[in-house]
Amino acid sequence: MTDSILIKKGTLVLPGRKELVDADLLIREGKIVRIGRGIEDPQAYSLNASGLLVGPGLINLHVHFREPGEEKKEDLFTGARAAARGGFTTVVCMPNTCPPLDNPLFARYIVSRSAEIGLVNILPAGAITVGLKGETMTNFGLLKEEGVVALSDDGKSVGKSRLLYLAFRYANYFDLPFILHEEDENLSPAGEMHEGVTSFEMGYRGIPPAGENSRIARDLVLALYTGARVHLTHLSTDLGVDLIRWFQARIPVSADVTPHHLLLTDQQVKQFGTLAKVNPPLREEKDIQALKLGIREGVINILASDHAPHSLEDKEVDFASAPFGISNLEITLPLLVKSLVEEGVIDWISLWEKLSLNPARFLKLTDRGSLEEGKVADITIVDPDTEWEVEVNQFESKGKNCPFQGWPLRGWPVYTILGGKVVMQEGSLIS
Amino acid sequence: MGWKHRHLLGIQPLSREDIWYLLHKANFFRDSLEEKPKKEGQLNGFFMINLFFEPSTRTRISFEMAAKLLGMEVINFTTEMSSILKGENLRDTVRTLSRLKADVLVIRHSSSGVPQYLSQFLPFHIINAGDGMREHPTQALLDLLTIWRHFGRLSNLKVAIIGDILHSRVARSLTIGLQKMGSEVFFSGAPTLVPPEAEKMGGQIIYPLEKAIQGVDVIYLLRIQQERQKAGFFSSIKEYNHFFSLRKDLWEKAKGQAIIMHPGPVNRGVEVDSELVEGTGSLIEEQVTCGLAVRMAVLDTLIQEGKAGD
Repeated sequence: MTDSILIKKGTLVLPGRKELVDADLLIREGKIVRIGRGIEDPQAYSLNASGLLVGPGLINLHVHFREPGEEKKEDLFTGARAAARGGFTTVVCMPNTCPPLDNPLFARYIVSRSAEIGLVNILPAGAITVGLKGETMTNFGLLKEEGVVALSDDGKSVGKSRLLYLAFRYANYFDLPFILHEEDENLSPAGEMHEGVTSFEMGYRGIPPAGENSRIARDLVLALYTGARVHLTHLSTDLGVDLIRWFQARIPVSADVTPHHLLLTDQQVKQFGTLAKVNPPLREEKDIQALKLGIREGVINILASDHAPHSLEDKEVDFASAPFGISNLEITLPLLVKSLVEEGVIDWISLWEKLSLNPARFLKLTDRGSLEEGKVADITIVDPDTEWEVEVNQFESKGKNCPFQGWPLRGWPVYTILGGKVVMQEGSLIS
Repeated sequence: MGWKHRHLLGIQPLSREDIWYLLHKANFFRDSLEEKPKKEGQLNGFFMINLFFEPSTRTRISFEMAAKLLGMEVINFTTEMSSILKGENLRDTVRTLSRLKADVLVIRHSSSGVPQYLSQFLPFHIINAGDGMREHPTQALLDLLTIWRHFGRLSNLKVAIIGDILHSRVARSLTIGLQKMGSEVFFSGAPTLVPPEAEKMGGQIIYPLEKAIQGVDVIYLLRIQQERQKAGFFSSIKEYNHFFSLRKDLWEKAKGQAIIMHPGPVNRGVEVDSELVEGTGSLIEEQVTCGLAVRMAVLDTLIQEGKAGD
């Protein structure tokens, strides 16, 4: 096949210019070379995108690919396939593997394995602390030299304030940002679900919003005084949005929300059981409303998956013993379309911006995140109209732990183009 | 213009003229150290007590040698053998010492401000040999003497101080001294150890390290202590060495007319590549000899001329 692709008659999503434009787009040698009306190139492979949205490849700041150590839940290969199927061209994988990604060698492995698989750019986040133990800093500089793009102790928050304060200052030297999971485990010993009426009714131990929000407040104060680049991931509460809004007037803090925190409440734990056990936990309707307002206002400027695959045997246990997490990488976009676009919270352009341009800016990926001549041809093409039901058993991901089975959704990715090569077409992977 | 100070508590209280006064005298002593016999007897019959509450070999011996070269008697008092270990407080310890009628007390203590505190009620000349994280004036003076003798001037020089600025009394005293003499100071190193407040003292923080040492006259490296890693200021010696030390390749790029200085003791292979320590650009060993000369000058000046109140 030729190394040129001509995407004809699509509707281009241009988040940088906040426009939808009907135009053609020519890809050559992995780059976007021309955008305009009526482009002809007989040498190029022609792709009819009539009725489809063509935008910059989706970038996801939060996935768990479980390799090394928990390959029965997911590995880099199946994770990459799920990402490509979900329309993602770049994902940041969290370091809470076994052993954790606290060592430059593991980062190098992920980067080289990602290139070998060739379906998605997998960028490693490195652990903030050795072994995710919250005791000592990892080698931020050496990790960055092997491809680490951000620091996170995801799954936990760093308990020792002084350690985080020093880590924030230390990371500035290497221009490494933080992706922070916010939870004071002191306030949620053995917590199982959101602390509220449902947890009381069901007799499950609570995870109070106070635990998440006190850590958000602390960490934003630390960021204010240190100048660290901080991103708060999987935001779940109304107060969290208010805290970020207050700090955004002072420092450039960013935040993301997952689709499940926009679509499900704590009450649905009754219906879905362990499939809805996730951390941060599903909260209340008022939280969903506040998150949506934050998204509309731009306080929450990024959307992410927190794709957390588990094997069914891990989830098919009593509620307390089940691990936290929802597998959602292949349906993240349609879920967000349902919760945000169809509900009139934001439009397609703004949705796409929070899934491409904004995360690219956070990661300082200057050659990605927008459709412009000269940029890398990472492109996602979406069918905004056709409705399909979620079929969990068709997931490429090993993780079938998903409460959205059977949901009718629109906004499915139909092509994923990575560096000028089609890697996914009509839901099937091309290798 | 005579000498006006009873004590040497820091570089901060000294004027530019005071510093020149000490440096000229020290320069004379430095030359005389090449002669044989070296000993001069002008302070015959005066007594110096070395009171060290922190472990030190180099500074204590340097003071002892300086005193003896001038004909003084020296008594060494270290905490290991002292009543401090029996629970006596600092004030009582030094008040007892004061009844011994010595002339000069050289003191090192881990708490910042101890020499100033003692100077309020003790009858003898006090020389600060390092107090906590505040000042180490004889170190700064010996550094200035070394730089002056090498470059022939102390103004319009660029000095990059690299490393643990936060905890370093050497960095504070030297920065104050260099600025009084009309030179420029740059700081660099791990950002956890280079507080933004350092710029308030007049220096300029420059990152990364490569940029900070570009085109400077002096690269002044500070000792990096293992405790700083344990306290979380940086992640590992390996990473520190990779990003924040003077490696040979950096030196080759930066050097020009630059010299390398270090207050000692050096952690070879941690803050500086081992072969640079004794290389042609290094004045680290000359600093030690200048230290002796500076301490002779300070003792001579305080005892002969330090009559007035501070």
